[in-house]
Amino acid sequence: MGLKLKALCKSPWIFHINTGACNNCDIELVDALTPRFDVERLGVLLVGTIRHADVLVVTGGVTQQAAPRLRRLHQQAPKPCLVIACGTCACTKGIFHDGYHMVGPVDEIVPVDIYIPGCPPKPEAIIDAVVKLLRKVA
Amino acid sequence: MKDREEIIAKINEAVGKKAVSSYRPAPNRFHVSVAQGDLRKTVKLVFEELLGRYVILTGVDTPQGMEVLYHFSFDEVGLVVTLRVLLDKQDAKIDSITPIVRGAEWIEREIHELLGVEFVGHPNMRRLILAEDWPEGVYPLRRSYGRDST
Amino acid sequence: MNALGALLLVLVFPGFAFTFAFAMVFAWIDRKVTARVQWRVGPPFLQPVYDFIKLLGKEVIVPAGGARVLFLLAPLLGLAAVTVSSTLVWQGNIWPEKGFVGDLIVVIYLLTIPSLSVILGGLASNNRVASLGASREMKMILSYELPLVLALVVPIINADNSIRLGEMLQSQPAVWHVSGILAFMVAIICMQAKLGLVPFDIAEAETEVMGGPFVEYSGAPLAIIKLTRSMMLFLMPVFLVTVFWGGITGGGGIVGTVLGCLKVLLLLVIVILLRNTNPRVRIDQAVGFFWGPWVTGVALLAVALALLRNVIWA
Repeated sequence: MGLKLKALCKSPWIFHINTGACNNCDIELVDALTPRFDVERLGVLLVGTIRHADVLVVTGGVTQQAAPRLRRLHQQAPKPCLVIACGTCACTKGIFHDGYHMVGPVDEIVPVDIYIPGCPPKPEAIIDAVVKLLRKVA
Repeated sequence: MKDREEIIAKINEAVGKKAVSSYRPAPNRFHVSVAQGDLRKTVKLVFEELLGRYVILTGVDTPQGMEVLYHFSFDEVGLVVTLRVLLDKQDAKIDSITPIVRGAEWIEREIHELLGVEFVGHPNMRRLILAEDWPEGVYPLRRSYGRDST
Repeated sequence: MNALGALLLVLVFPGFAFTFAFAMVFAWIDRKVTARVQWRVGPPFLQPVYDFIKLLGKEVIVPAGGARVLFLLAPLLGLAAVTVSSTLVWQGNIWPEKGFVGDLIVVIYLLTIPSLSVILGGLASNNRVASLGASREMKMILSYELPLVLALVVPIINADNSIRLGEMLQSQPAVWHVSGILAFMVAIICMQAKLGLVPFDIAEAETEVMGGPFVEYSGAPLAIIKLTRSMMLFLMPVFLVTVFWGGITGGGGIVGTVLGCLKVLLLLVIVILLRNTNPRVRIDQAVGFFWGPWVTGVALLAVALALLRNVIWA
């Protein structure tokens, strides 16, 4: 598995899912993929289907409707697959902590490899987290 | 081209004597509380005769009971008319206005599943925003949710 | 030619290994030029190689209810077709006397197989989105194949009705005549559609159909699919330069070879710039465009002009 992870760190393809976020984290995440920050230098590409993905980026605290779907998505991803919890709602439930519809933060549904706090996290913080994750895993 | 006072006068004329109360919090807002049975007639008046634009419905859980507000806007004169209906909390039933205003279908579904208000005559009362496995009869936006065993 | 020689030809030079290396280089050039056009830096030189190696290490998932053998076999068909056609094209360039009559036809046939393998793979995936992508790819094939073949008829007429790649290189390059230039421009547009690049990447439109026919592919089959596309990106400009512009060896000697490589790079840059400056068209717009006067019409005009020239000068 070590060699596969090493190769994965040279070209991490990301897939983004929003499990009930207010969309701010999504905006910042998509902002990080624009030419201004140029994450293609790290080999990062946004893919349209989970079967092509190496990194699953989850935004939003997980609502009751999104939980089974998030679990199914993680099962559908070809392993090895890393998971990033982006935003305060994904790490803990954020300001929706006592909401009637929140099942739990992301790590109660799928195993998380790195947490990015912030509401929303800046694109620089997201890229910093991705770099730290790649260095740690490789 | 009507002006605000004309519209308010017409509404008052139709339901004013039977209205429970009415007040104007601001020059461009007008609230009138109607009885349950008068609702359909008043909505017909405001929507079809006076040609007000349907905006949205609001559901409020107040200590006096469950209140449903119907907002209509008159864009040319800058007036928002709100019809209020007060319902009994244990037995919240009101006529659905979806046959008159097609756009009210989804908000009535939402108020039903979050506050437990029953809309009589709604053509398509299905679950809208709660999860599929949310238990029936549990209304999360009621004040009593989570406090006692609802 | 003995069996071992043929095997070496197909597998090493100018077959699989050679095409693989240059496919990686061309894929990098594509991404780098795209990045530069968008005012950013772009990936490092070995990025396509990293992508390939990473995909080889991923888990292969075959969708339930899909046709298992066909799903795994379809990418291999595309790869085999591209490898063999690359061998034939380069053999026609480097050893023109070793070709056979009709090898141009064989190359044209083989170059349709990667698109067919895309359709096969998409339909074997048991996925609605993949079927949609596959049907769009079918419509695209029906649109661009006709003008492409018509455009390729012009150099055939130009080379005294010969269908050997070697003989085409010995006659005057087709772009020295008006009919040749028209046919070359039509061929470039059809090449853009054949490579599946914007404005004609309708089948694999990422934002619309989530990857189109490749939705369910993962791991090694996906690596082979991406490799096939990169090889097509390398092969098509070389093929067009061979047929229209006098080949890689050009007039002969070092100068001719350098000019030939520059011609290929020029075509590649045209493809990349077209890709970066155009929005994607709808499928009905694409079909209408290819069957309309601007593509098929111009191709027919070029064929007519070439025939006319032949008659006048005969």
